[in-house]
Amino acid sequence: MRPTGVYFENFAAEARVLETRRARLWLVALCILLVALPMLAGPWLLGQLTYAFITLIAVYGLFVTVGMAGQINIAQSAFVGVGAFSAAKLSGLGVPFWLVIPAAALITGAVSVLFALPAARVRGFYLALTTLAAQVMFPIVILALPMSWLGGLVGMPVVSPDLFGLSLGGPRGFYWLALAFAAAATWCAFNLPRSRLGRAMRAVHDNDTAASVMGIPVTRIKIEAFFVGALFAGVAGALTAYFLQFVTVSSFTLFASVWYLGMLIVGGIHSPLGPILGVAFITLIQEGLHAISNALLQSGSNIGGGAVFALSSILLALCILIALIFEPRGLAHLWQTAKTTFRLWPFPRN
Amino acid sequence: MTPANGSILEARDLCLRFGAVEALRSVSLAVQAGSIHALIGPNGAGKSSLLNCLSGFYRPWSGAVLFQDEDISTARPPMRSTLGIGRTFQGIQTYPSMTARDNILTGFHSRMSGGVFAALFRTPALIRQEEAFTARAEEIIAFLELEQDRHRVVGDMSYGLRKRVDLGRALATDPKILIMDEPMAGMSPEEKGDLARFILDIRDHFGIPVVLVEHDMDVVMDISDRVTVLEFGEVIAEGPPERIADDERVITAYLGAAEVAV
Repeated sequence: MRPTGVYFENFAAEARVLETRRARLWLVALCILLVALPMLAGPWLLGQLTYAFITLIAVYGLFVTVGMAGQINIAQSAFVGVGAFSAAKLSGLGVPFWLVIPAAALITGAVSVLFALPAARVRGFYLALTTLAAQVMFPIVILALPMSWLGGLVGMPVVSPDLFGLSLGGPRGFYWLALAFAAAATWCAFNLPRSRLGRAMRAVHDNDTAASVMGIPVTRIKIEAFFVGALFAGVAGALTAYFLQFVTVSSFTLFASVWYLGMLIVGGIHSPLGPILGVAFITLIQEGLHAISNALLQSGSNIGGGAVFALSSILLALCILIALIFEPRGLAHLWQTAKTTFRLWPFPRN
Repeated sequence: MTPANGSILEARDLCLRFGAVEALRSVSLAVQAGSIHALIGPNGAGKSSLLNCLSGFYRPWSGAVLFQDEDISTARPPMRSTLGIGRTFQGIQTYPSMTARDNILTGFHSRMSGGVFAALFRTPALIRQEEAFTARAEEIIAFLELEQDRHRVVGDMSYGLRKRVDLGRALATDPKILIMDEPMAGMSPEEKGDLARFILDIRDHFGIPVVLVEHDMDVVMDISDRVTVLEFGEVIAEGPPERIADDERVITAYLGAAEVAV
């Protein structure tokens, strides 16, 4: 619901994401805060935020494939891995950083099309299994290739990026880099639903039989949904490679794919706001658990790291279950509902 | 383009069987430009089969479908949509998670352009195109009196409104002929009245001929220019509604044989 007195004089104004002047001012304030943060925060917090930004980009990819087009994908982490290894290989060959990121995105997109082809024919559980196959095949393929190609079991080192002679290797520089890419990804994700392609994806999600009769090429749209989702994953992967300065297959597991899905579901799969809220919420929970477990370990009790790992998985499952039962449209919908309630107060909503 | 005999969509000697059931036995039909053509008949008469042959869901065993005098028998449904054969569906086949206006905008898909890059980066060309097509969608919204509901999510709407959105989406495909499968089924008398008015306006205002299957005889007799009656996969009568209402065979088909009625 809009606040009273907000009206539009043309379609372009109506299509804006931020409708009011106040909303735009809030965004500017948030941007200033995020850009200025390295001056205020220590390297630990910057590292955490950088990792959250990279995760956000990957979850945005999932938002496109799963949320927009309704094509289930539990191999997002493998696609991030493809992006990371492509970036590592390309930078090892001496390709400059600014070229590596788009190249890694396109390579990942191309690989995803290979696995999207079955999506044209299967749906639901069967598609889930097909993408699971992609996730399982990823480490097998990397390990089976000669060591000199992608590092095999050992992995590959990555040199820190520099842009026109300016090093982006330090925690501050890399924070800004990840922030810029996360901002761009957010912009793209908010653009997609307002386009012909985004509407076609939603139509395929809602009713692919009707969509095909109305002249929407369903197979092509499904493949494009995987492709666009993998573009995001490729960027996230390339950034991961530069961030960790080392890539191994063990970083891109099925677990990570499930975490990405969990973030998307908790945040809200149908709104571009969902990934932001989901990543923030789950990251906070993960870090809270880490803090608790560290305190427990130091207090001398005999709870080990295995228990913490198990606990975090249980908590993720709990979050997803609660979200599915009480708010399937996620935190994003909760946020909209809260805003409407405040605007109508003291009158009841609907 | 309009052929000399004035028929825009034509079925010639269509035969269709499902196993032992003969759904259509040499059915011919000619829809005249600028007319509302109703298909009626008892359950299982072959009305939906005929409609599905016209819109490309079924491939007839023999016979041909001609659109503007061109044989389109082998064209698949999306192709026929692009050619200008629009259709609305039986029941609810709108996109429930999208707004009414977005539903209508999807109808423009094959007339719009722009791929992945434009969609992600919202290029100036895309913004211009969005504005132009939003304006066209608004014309359809104004015609169907959906102004109050343009930003409502279709899944939250009443049955009658959803059917109106379905019609809007079909109009957005810029059809040269509109096929409607039981548009009035399940509607209240008020909703039926509204929809009948829209169908008449589509003929008079846009000049688009309409083929419809309908069970409500009052509606059929009121709005159609021509009626074709099917029974057991055969055409048993065709003509203007007033003549059909008095036709001996039609009365028999609907009410049973004469000796039963007497």
